[in-house]
Amino acid sequence: MSGEVRLFRSVKEIPPEDYYTAGRRTCAGCGPALAYRLVLKAAGPNTVVLGPTGCMYVANAHQFLTSPYALPWFHTQLGGGGAAGIGTAAAFRALMTKRKRIPEEINVVVFGGDGGFADIGFAGLSMGVSYDYPRLLYVLYDNESYANTGIQASSTTPWGATTTFTPSGKVKRIGNERLKKNVALIMAAHPGVKYVATATLWPPLDLPNKVRKALESGGPSFIHVLTPCPKGWFTPPDLAVELSRLAVETGLWVLWEYENGKFKLNYKPSPRKHVKQYLQLQGRFAHLTADDIEVIEERTKKEWEMWMEMERTGRLIIPWPSSPGDSGDNMTL
Amino acid sequence: MKVVTRVSEALQIPRKKPITGARAIAEAVKLADVDVIAAYPIRPYTGIMNALAEMIANGEFMAEIIVADSEHSQFEIAKHASAVGARTFVGSSGVGLAYATEAIIVTAMDQLPVVAIAGCRALDDPGNFGMEWNDVLLFRDSGWLISWAKDPQEALDMTLVAYRVAEDRRVMLPHFIAVDGATITHIAAPVDVPSKKDVTEFLPLYRPPYPLDPAYGPVTKAQHIAPSLIGPEQRKHVDVAMKRAREVIVEAWKDYANYVGREYSPFIEAFHMDDAEVALVTMGAYTINALHAVEKARKDGVKAGLIRLRYFRPFPFWELRKVLSSVEGVGVLDFSYSFGSPDSGGVLFNEVRAAMYENPKPALDFLFLGGREPKPDDFVRALKILYEYVRTGKTPGNKRVFWLTLRGEDV
Repeated sequence: MSGEVRLFRSVKEIPPEDYYTAGRRTCAGCGPALAYRLVLKAAGPNTVVLGPTGCMYVANAHQFLTSPYALPWFHTQLGGGGAAGIGTAAAFRALMTKRKRIPEEINVVVFGGDGGFADIGFAGLSMGVSYDYPRLLYVLYDNESYANTGIQASSTTPWGATTTFTPSGKVKRIGNERLKKNVALIMAAHPGVKYVATATLWPPLDLPNKVRKALESGGPSFIHVLTPCPKGWFTPPDLAVELSRLAVETGLWVLWEYENGKFKLNYKPSPRKHVKQYLQLQGRFAHLTADDIEVIEERTKKEWEMWMEMERTGRLIIPWPSSPGDSGDNMTL
Repeated sequence: MKVVTRVSEALQIPRKKPITGARAIAEAVKLADVDVIAAYPIRPYTGIMNALAEMIANGEFMAEIIVADSEHSQFEIAKHASAVGARTFVGSSGVGLAYATEAIIVTAMDQLPVVAIAGCRALDDPGNFGMEWNDVLLFRDSGWLISWAKDPQEALDMTLVAYRVAEDRRVMLPHFIAVDGATITHIAAPVDVPSKKDVTEFLPLYRPPYPLDPAYGPVTKAQHIAPSLIGPEQRKHVDVAMKRAREVIVEAWKDYANYVGREYSPFIEAFHMDDAEVALVTMGAYTINALHAVEKARKDGVKAGLIRLRYFRPFPFWELRKVLSSVEGVGVLDFSYSFGSPDSGGVLFNEVRAAMYENPKPALDFLFLGGREPKPDDFVRALKILYEYVRTGKTPGNKRVFWLTLRGEDV
């Protein structure tokens, strides 16, 4: 760990400099774009940014050979995020150790989507957090689908969402029937990882402060950021922050961090809003019946017993019942 | 280029000692002071990484050695380390190379001078430790430079020269050194290891033109593009680099000889070609067996010659045309195959034939597929079939392609 972590105490302390700027063609109201901007503001100028293929690859330029990055940035293949971070960090360490480059603290931030980190690049990400490179941060911007290719389900798409690969039909009514993978819990199960957190675009200081903590943690780190996607969620473009807030307040998105072997809940919705307040705003859940929504509400309620147990004990627990509505067994990590 | 007096070198006791090909390549990587190494196990190339890991663990030199989760990650690690400005080393064999295909391809398109060993191995299925060239040749169209070593000594020399060529600003392309499987990696032979001083002078520090490093300002690399904007132009960049590589390769080997004292003809090695009427063409480790067959035939009065290609990419078509201009027939000793290709032949066979298109020669293909070890007699037989073909225009079964190690009928 390299000294005191400088945390933002108010929005006014967030630096005006942007490292993720104009020159891109992300959608109006793009959640991931806001996350990029906040993460890089917090990371600052001594940062290398890497991006596996994903909507934030294709959307971040394309037509006019422009680049939104005021920092070094390099593409990596869809499954290459973990390796790209390791290769970059290893190069800096080797060159500095061998005095081929002046020693300096350089952040390596890899932004992967849910496809890039939860699916095809999952093994690489696991390898990435198993090495001891400080200032290596993996940020999963999770818009809960392969949005660039036309909204196909990933392993973080929530139960009940329609996507073009999991449409709601006459026979298969629910749409996506898989439960959302909790990548952050899996990352926290890696003994070498120094900092793991979840975040979203609300509360405003939560994400930038977690980036600061991650980069100062002295080892590899991972932040799973829920980023609303107007295109994939079928929502108006002005709702990105509102949806982030509702995801937290309904308990569907749990803000937590894991540091020095200790679990900490960052926000306890009290009272927790009913999940329908979040779901009903989104076209991808429009086909769900009141009963379906109750299934989600019940499952969320049960999960929260476990999240509260984690908060109480400071330990990680796998919080899911084995099937929707089933209380099941829980495993302590 | 620097001219050195060789007096001090000549006075030294030869440093030749028997080491395996794997060790020889590892010695080259150490001499090149490689910064980042990415490893993942698959036979037969693994021995190189074992040797490097041991050297690093014992403090013989310093490099970051990453045990990757897959070959795909391995090649991505090397690519990204190279973009920052590190000298990198990576490698694989058989299906491992196939698994890494995506990462291998983008490394060339990004023009990053990664150096990789391809320890040739038959592709699955079924699993097979034998030697075939099809794994490396998956990348013949990818923009990688591909050279082929015949023995541990040349594998060491080629590794050092590969860094020099790949990192030359006129080239900036990644480089495979193909070695014929265990025939090189696991066989000990006397190897002269060059001095650190000579290698340091021959191989300057790697300095990429646009490092991915905040100290050099914001560089956006491999941004997504509209194909109409720079699609063909980007491909042309790689094309020009590959074309320029020809002159850089010639320069590099000449300079290497100045420092290290071993001379190689850069693109092809020719044996008994001055008066040859028939010629065998091959690459790699079995050259020595082919040479024995050629010399045996010569004792029987057959004017036979042998050509070994040292590079597959860039393909030495010009040199090949020249050296084959006076022969009456060509036989390719081929460890590669392309199912359904013209005349159902090997990859090398059809490349050689394409190179000879303007001045065609009767050509036969002798295949050694599926990893079964050829016998010395197979090469003798190949030469007999070729000589008979040149003399009479006839071959057994009127065929042009022979599966020499096949048991049962060659249909």
